Amino acid sequence: MMDTAAAGHTAVPDSRLPGPYPVGSYAGQLKRRLQEFTRVQLEGEVFGCRLSRVRVYFELRDARGALPCSMWRDDFDRLGVTLSDGMRIVVGGGCDYYPGSSTSSPTFSFSVSELRVAGEGDLLVAVERLRRKLHAEGLFEPQKSLPRPRLPKTIGVVTGEQGKARDDVLAGLRRRGWAGRLIWAFVPVQDRHAAPRIAAALRELAATPEVEVVIVARGGGSLADLYAFCDEALCRTVALLRVPVISSVGHHTDRTLIDDVAAVCCSTPTHAAEAAVPIDCVAARVALHGSAVRLHDHSRRAILHRARALAQLSRAPAQHVARHRARLHQLLRELRATGRRRTAGGRSWADGQAAALERAATRGATRGPGHAKRGRDLERLRMALAAHDPARTMARGYALVQDRSGAPLGSVTAARAARDLTVRFHDGALMARVTAEPEAQDGSG
Amino acid sequence: MTEGRTYESAVGRVEDIIRRLDSGDAGLRETLDLVREGRELVEYCATELDAVSQGLEELRLDELVARLETGNGGR
Repeated sequence: MMDTAAAGHTAVPDSRLPGPYPVGSYAGQLKRRLQEFTRVQLEGEVFGCRLSRVRVYFELRDARGALPCSMWRDDFDRLGVTLSDGMRIVVGGGCDYYPGSSTSSPTFSFSVSELRVAGEGDLLVAVERLRRKLHAEGLFEPQKSLPRPRLPKTIGVVTGEQGKARDDVLAGLRRRGWAGRLIWAFVPVQDRHAAPRIAAALRELAATPEVEVVIVARGGGSLADLYAFCDEALCRTVALLRVPVISSVGHHTDRTLIDDVAAVCCSTPTHAAEAAVPIDCVAARVALHGSAVRLHDHSRRAILHRARALAQLSRAPAQHVARHRARLHQLLRELRATGRRRTAGGRSWADGQAAALERAATRGATRGPGHAKRGRDLERLRMALAAHDPARTMARGYALVQDRSGAPLGSVTAARAARDLTVRFHDGALMARVTAEPEAQDGSG
Repeated sequence: MTEGRTYESAVGRVEDIIRRLDSGDAGLRETLDLVREGRELVEYCATELDAVSQGLEELRLDELVARLETGNGGR
């Protein structure tokens, strides 16, 4: 029951409405009436969740209407959920009105005492069903067979503009020593309606011919948050994309479908960056320098080897001459040996040979300068022969013993057999006959 | 010869060349030919590495798309 109007307050002129009553008492009545509304469960989508120290505020919406909701912060924390826009939830509670005062605003809200994130279980089932369907269509394969460049020059990155994923990707690329071209495609990654925006960004990146690989990165979150990345249309877009997609979307415990269709899935955006650039550019440069040095060494060694081989060939003419010189010496030795064996009349066979050589040498000399050398060689030979002439030996006091036919005798046996000897000294010859032998020194007879 | 050449194929070919040279089976002619090919490939790889060492260039997809669209609209 309303307080009766204090007498003497001015009403609106000609108003037929009862009152005026103090607003505070009206507000108090309203609060009591609202609180009498049946407490119910409601379901809808979350929008605009806001946390303060004591309370949590959000709106619950669907196509036909909405309610402002509030709940105690402690109760909310106990649930251990994160509310994000678009999440379907079920709340239980009842209407409430905070009447306000002269210094504070009034608020109407649906006061929530219980809350459940709707269909998270349903979500998982739906995702699993979709996973089997895409797998059966073979859509897990095409991305994985795409060639992945080891040194891409242009990389596309799909991620949220805020958030750690962006910095993590940069850190990963820096670790690889990569400083090429990066094309950022900033998209909403947190809400359910992100899927078409992410798919559009991927298509635009793929349509850019320089882009060689794309990273899709997001920090973790609950599966409800990641639901966008289980969207069927988005996953089909990824599966058939021209360029390889490296996904680092969820935590390693929450595998989203985009992880299954992508070329590679990584646990963090840093790892995704390292997968996009598989080589360490700094180390690669060092290795390349090493290869250049080894190539240089091989070519230097090959050229030295060739030079040595050529030097060896150029020594050959000298060796050729040396061989011929040795042959001439050999001939000379043979001639000397023959000279010792035969003598005929007063003239040794060697003399005859020397005379022949002299003739040949003279002949050579008259032929012209080309044969002069040959003449000198023969002259040398003649002088060598003369040095070994038996006549020289006799001049030193030796005697040559011959039989009556002139054949030289070189042993006692031969002399005894011949009996009649000619003994030739340097100044003439004598006839001699073997009569007796001197006493044998060793007693043999 | 340059068609279809990639950084990874070039690196692989340089490694093959060095293996062949190390084996000692290559004659002088082959050695000089291989060294020449190897040097060209090393040049190419160095150029590729240079291309991603100039300094990170960051672009935004939405700006690129807008530029393309205004370019088309301006005609």
